[in-house]
Amino acid sequence: MRKFLDGLYAAAGWLAGLAMIGILVMVLLTILSRLIGFSAPGTDAYAGYAMAGAGFMALASTFKKGEHIRVTLLLGALKGAALKVMEVTALGIATLLAGFLAFYSVRLTWQSWEIEDISVGIDATPMWIPQIFMALGTIIFFIALFDDLVLELQGKRQVAVNEDAHHE
Amino acid sequence: MNEITASILLIVVLLVLLSGGVWVGLTLAGVAWFGMEFFTARAAGDAMAMTIWGSASSWTLTALPLFVWMGEILYRTNLSESMFRGLAPWVNALPGRLLHTNVIGCTIFAAVSGSSAATCATVGKMNVPELMKRGYPENMVIGSLGGPATLGLLIPPSIILIVYGVSAELSISKLFMAGVLPGIMLAIMFSGWIMVWALLNPGKIPKADSSLSFKEKIYESRHLIPVVLLIASVIASIYTGIATATEAAAIGVVGALVLSAAQGALTWDNFKAALFGATRLYCMIALILAGAAFMTLSMGYIGLPRQLAEYVGSLNLSPAMLMVVLGLFYVVLGCFLDGISTIVLTSAVVLPIIQAAGIDPLWFGIFLVITVETAQITPPVGFNLFVLQGMTGKQITYLARVCAPYFVLMVIALIILWLFPQIVTALPSHM
Repeated sequence: MRKFLDGLYAAAGWLAGLAMIGILVMVLLTILSRLIGFSAPGTDAYAGYAMAGAGFMALASTFKKGEHIRVTLLLGALKGAALKVMEVTALGIATLLAGFLAFYSVRLTWQSWEIEDISVGIDATPMWIPQIFMALGTIIFFIALFDDLVLELQGKRQVAVNEDAHHE
Repeated sequence: MNEITASILLIVVLLVLLSGGVWVGLTLAGVAWFGMEFFTARAAGDAMAMTIWGSASSWTLTALPLFVWMGEILYRTNLSESMFRGLAPWVNALPGRLLHTNVIGCTIFAAVSGSSAATCATVGKMNVPELMKRGYPENMVIGSLGGPATLGLLIPPSIILIVYGVSAELSISKLFMAGVLPGIMLAIMFSGWIMVWALLNPGKIPKADSSLSFKEKIYESRHLIPVVLLIASVIASIYTGIATATEAAAIGVVGALVLSAAQGALTWDNFKAALFGATRLYCMIALILAGAAFMTLSMGYIGLPRQLAEYVGSLNLSPAMLMVVLGLFYVVLGCFLDGISTIVLTSAVVLPIIQAAGIDPLWFGIFLVITVETAQITPPVGFNLFVLQGMTGKQITYLARVCAPYFVLMVIALIILWLFPQIVTALPSHM
C-alpha cells in the first residue's frame, strides 16, 4: 500500500513535469508560428490547459515534500500531545476541504462531458479533456492529505524539510 | 445577519484556520466556501470548481510557471561563482569594496529569478564564505546580502508582480517595466549605505586584492556576459512589445537551458531537478491563487469589498494618510504571512479602496511589493531570514538586526516613490 501510494504521487508529479514542458512547447509554437508565418491555432489555450495540468497534478507531490505554505508559528511553539492534536485538526480540516475540491472538480468535469461543453476559443476543445487532470490531481491531493492524517494518527508521519525549496 | 457580523465572523474563521496551520490555499478556499454557503443564496461548490478551473488555466498566468522554471535552471548553474569572480575586480575601488558584490550580484540575479529567497541563496552560496575568508565584518556581509536579496521581488521578472497583475487585472508587461527604476533606485540606495558605513568605519574593511588592468577585468567578467545578455533580451523584448511577458518567459527558459548547457551544468539530473523544483514551486503558488480566486468571487457576492471601500471612503482619509495606514497594515501582516498570500488575501478588499481614493493601481503594485520586500527581513516570518539562518546558523534576532538598516532604506524608498511617482510610471507610460 505504502509503495502504491508513493508511486501514485510520483507518477502524478512526473505528469506535472511533462505538462510544464507542454507549456513551454505551446508558447514557443506561438512565437515560431508568428515568425515563420504558419498557423498554429489555439496554442494560447493549450498553454493554459498545460499550466492547469502542471498545477493540479503536482499538488500531491508538493504537499508530500512539505512545500505548500502554511503558518507554523503556533505549531512550532507546541510539543507532544498538544502538537499532535493541532496537527490532526489541521490535517483533518485540510483533508475535508481537499475532499470538497475533488468532489466538485469531478462534478465539473462530468458536467462538461454530459452537456458537451466546448471551449469558446478557436481551439474548440471539449472541456472535459483538460478538466480531467483537475479532477485527477485534486483526487490524488485528497488521498495524500488523508494518507498524512492516518500517518499522523498512527504517529508515523514524517514532515519533510526541504532545504532546496525557495518559496518566493 | 448584517454585514459587520458577517465580516467579523469570516475574519475569525480565516485567522483560526491560518494560525492553526491549515495550508494557506485551502484556508482561502474554505473561508470563501463558508462565506458563500452562509451569507448568499448561491451554491458554493459548483462556483468553486468553475472559478478555480478558470484561474488555473488562464493564459495571462502562463508567464508565472515559465519564469519560475527559468530561475530554477539558472539556480543550478555556476552563476553564483562567476558573479563573484566577475564583479569583484570592478568594485574594489569603491568604499566598502567587495561588499558591493552582494548588492550587484543580487540585482543581477533578481533579474533572472522572480524569487527573493532564491536570490539570497544563490548569491550567498559563493559570496558569504568568500567575504568572510577575506575578513569582512560579519554583520555587514550578512546584512548586505539579506537586504538587497529582496530585490528579487521587484526587478522583473517578478513572480509576485505577476500574482498582483492577475489579481488587479493589470498588464504584466507594464507592471514589470514599472518595477525597473524603483529596483535600480533601491540597489543604488543599498550600495550608498555600504559606502557611508565603510567611510564611517574605515578600519573595518580589508585591503583590496591586487588590482587588475581593464583588459584583465573584462576577462574575469567573461562569464557574466551571457547572463547579462539574457536579462537584457528578456527585458528589452517586453519593453519594445516584440514579445508578451509569457513569450519572453519562454525565451528566457530556452536561453537559460542554452547557458546551462554551455557551462556543462545541464546534466539529466540537473534538468530533472530544475523541472520538478519549478513544477512544485509553481504548484505551491497555484494552490494559493486558486483559493484566492474563489475567495475574491465569494467576497464579491457577499459585497464585502464594496462596503469596506465605502466605509474607508467615509473616513475621509487623505490619500497620503491612507498609504501610511495601508503600509503599516502590510508590514504587520508581512511579519506573519508570506508575500504572495498577503497580496492575494487582501487584493479583493484593498484594490477597490485605493481605486476609490484615486491612486494608480500600477503605482500601488510597486508600493505593495516594496512593503512585502520589507516583510522578507522582518521576524518572526521572513523568508530571507530563514535562508540566511540555513546558511550561517545564526539566530533570527541577530539576522533581523543586521538587516535592519535595509528595512529603513526601503521605508525611505517608499516615501521617495510617494513624492515622485514618475519613478514608477515613467517607463510603462512609454510602452
